[in-house]
Amino acid sequence: MKKPHQDEELARQAKELFDDSVERLDSATLSRLNRSRHEALAEIERTKPFGKWARWMPATGVAAAAVVAVVVWQGVSTEGPLPETTEFTDFEILIGEDSLEMLENLEFYSWIDPSDLETNGNVG
Amino acid sequence: MSACAGVFAVSCSREQLKGATTLQRERQLNQFLAGVERRALRFAEIAVRDRDEALDLVQDAMIKLARNYAEQPEDEWTPLFFRILQNGIRDWYRRQMVRNRVMVWFGRGTNADNDYDPVAQAPDPAGRGPDDQAQTDEAMQELESAVGRLPARQREAFMLRTFEGLDVAGTAVAMGCSQGSVKTHYSRAVHSLRDALGEHWQ
Repeated sequence: MKKPHQDEELARQAKELFDDSVERLDSATLSRLNRSRHEALAEIERTKPFGKWARWMPATGVAAAAVVAVVVWQGVSTEGPLPETTEFTDFEILIGEDSLEMLENLEFYSWIDPSDLETNGNVG
Repeated sequence: MSACAGVFAVSCSREQLKGATTLQRERQLNQFLAGVERRALRFAEIAVRDRDEALDLVQDAMIKLARNYAEQPEDEWTPLFFRILQNGIRDWYRRQMVRNRVMVWFGRGTNADNDYDPVAQAPDPAGRGPDDQAQTDEAMQELESAVGRLPARQREAFMLRTFEGLDVAGTAVAMGCSQGSVKTHYSRAVHSLRDALGEHWQ
């Protein structure tokens, strides 16, 4: 014969006893549970997408932007009429120690054949 | 360049938003675990009859929930957590069976059950006298012993439904079975317990 009220009463008493035993856990056990919980929460930090690399994201973004900028700038500048070697050589002359002398002898440098620059790679 | 800066700013704000969401999720998970950890410990302790082992099982379940299911909706955490815990308890039983077989093979039995003290010696927060507390302890020991003798699936159904207050659907998720099976296991568990405890409890 089925006794639903007895089943309910048994479940109620069992739950009361269980709740009571939960309330009477000692402090050492509660402390261990607390530590376990914090270790579990630390796991979220460790398993975040790109977790430990996330702090480098801004620096990486800046570096990537700089690389893109340089590439774009070089692409534009290479479209000019002069070959790269000449442009580079001119720049080297300008920043060199003899740049002042060069400015004084502009006529001489303009007299040099540009083809000579291409074949020898320098003016010396 | 300004386009790059714009993309960078958007990516930074997204990161900040994601960080804030994660922080909120951590807070919610902390609240959830703080609310469930004591009951989970007693739940595991009744199943494995050893507090240290139960603490390890609860910690494993917490870590697995945080690692794999932190992004799930909050209302799914309870059945998921107890499912992980149940799986841990089942694995523990399998390991124990293997260990006991090995011990028997080498001629050493285990008497861990005889040494087990299910209720910690702690002062009663309700301020009851020693006699009342002794009666409660005795009743809890009887209950634990009877629950411990139930077949595993009946024990799981009874503990999840009665101790954790999960509904049939939540218990089915936690046990990884159908709702019909939950009802059957629970009903059989209650009848077995009534037979075992009836004369003391009614």
